[in-house]
Amino acid sequence: MSCSEDHTESVDCTVKPPVFLQIGDTKGDSARSGVCVVDVTLPYGKPINIEKITFKNYYTAYVTVRLLRRKAEKEGSTKWCTALTDLALMDNPHTDGGSQNYFSIHRRQMQVQPDHVESIRLILRQPSSAWRIFSLEDIRLFPHKELAPEKEVSDWLSDLIVVKQPPDLEGLPDPQTVSSSIQQMWALTEVMQANRTTASIGRFDVDGCYDINLLSLT
Amino acid sequence: MADKEKRRSAAVPSGMSAGKATKSDSDVEFLSQAGVGELLRGAILKMVEARSDDPIGFLADHFCNLASVTDSSPAGCGDEEQMNGGPVSACAQEQQHLNRALWHLRLAHHSQRSAFSNNVRVAYDLLNISACQRGGVRGGLYTQTLQCLCSEGGVPASTSAPLLRRLHCQDHEVVPYDVFRHGVLTCAVFSDYIRQSQKLYAEVCCPHEGPASRALCMAVLGTLKEALETSTGCEPDSIRYLEASAKISPNRLAQAMEGAQSRGPGGNMDAKEFENAAADLFITRVKVVF
Repeated sequence: MSCSEDHTESVDCTVKPPVFLQIGDTKGDSARSGVCVVDVTLPYGKPINIEKITFKNYYTAYVTVRLLRRKAEKEGSTKWCTALTDLALMDNPHTDGGSQNYFSIHRRQMQVQPDHVESIRLILRQPSSAWRIFSLEDIRLFPHKELAPEKEVSDWLSDLIVVKQPPDLEGLPDPQTVSSSIQQMWALTEVMQANRTTASIGRFDVDGCYDINLLSLT
Repeated sequence: MADKEKRRSAAVPSGMSAGKATKSDSDVEFLSQAGVGELLRGAILKMVEARSDDPIGFLADHFCNLASVTDSSPAGCGDEEQMNGGPVSACAQEQQHLNRALWHLRLAHHSQRSAFSNNVRVAYDLLNISACQRGGVRGGLYTQTLQCLCSEGGVPASTSAPLLRRLHCQDHEVVPYDVFRHGVLTCAVFSDYIRQSQKLYAEVCCPHEGPASRALCMAVLGTLKEALETSTGCEPDSIRYLEASAKISPNRLAQAMEGAQSRGPGGNMDAKEFENAAADLFITRVKVVF
């Protein structure tokens, strides 16, 4: 299940119990409409940018994802928008193909950018009368991580490309010869460092005078 | 050399006094008896290994060394050693071992890896003999070896003093092979390094203007320092080398020198100060022996 490529942790979120929509005001043994809403809320004050949503299906045929997004970073109003409409989880609502599969919805699949999201509403639909109980299990949200900046290997590589000629070398020693000498000196220092030894002469080793048995003999 | 020649004549090979009559036959016999073939083969092998610039001088040194080897063996003991007794002869013998060890260490340059390692091993075994069952070289002897190496390499005593402080061992301490090798190699490399820094100073200072400008010297040494301080991190060594060498490329040096000219500190830096500053960059990276 958690085979995410970058091994990110899912964020803490609260999955509310599913609410089955009903027609009319009847209680008890009412006709199921085949529509169910699951709300997933994030802790207050901690909107996230969603990388992906993963869940395990339980006989849901279609799912619609709606997001409550905050306009700007901190201030601004929140607005609901639809990220995904009627994503088919089962090939045929009456048969059980895909009924217990694991799914993952990536941000690339969504119609809007899932950034600064505070709450998610999953609308589950199961039109078939064969499956009266349906839901999604183990819903997890994974935050979007910014790609780490490229290592600065290229910085010094680009330095090697001469962009401009140093204008005035009057009275200065020839950089080629100076550079060659410095390179030799650097190489000699590296040779010395590479040949360090871990051996020691044991100057500070004690010869067992601090054995606990001897100390206790006072 | 005169006393050695005197001793040589005393230890005459036994076969010599007999049969001078049959010259042609006994020539071959004589050569094989004296073991000349082995002698010459050994000499040529050593010469190939050392690749010295002065073959005649090298061979002279080699045979002189061999002569002192056979002289100091118990069979060829001279009168002086027997007369003076224990401590003095031990000291003289130690000095002799030291000289021979230094001769071996001078044979190959440290860049000739395997030859140099072999010579270090031979030198260590030589010095180990005089330490009488201690399982290593006496600290004082080891320190003396390092001092001789530095001074023979052309490093002034004041410049090599900080290095020796890091590497030296006390007289009562016993030096194992690894530490000995590390010390000897460091001194050999340091001599080259100082020679190189002297050459660098000559390049940096314009001959007709006297001592070099302080700003220029600091800039040049600054680039070396920067290259040496290239962080190791978790990069593979090859990337670290590339990055360091990019910092001491001719372009970077030209930029540094040009920058120094316009905004560096004033005044001059003489050769001694430059040498000490360069030596400092090296010595701070030497691991202290403990």
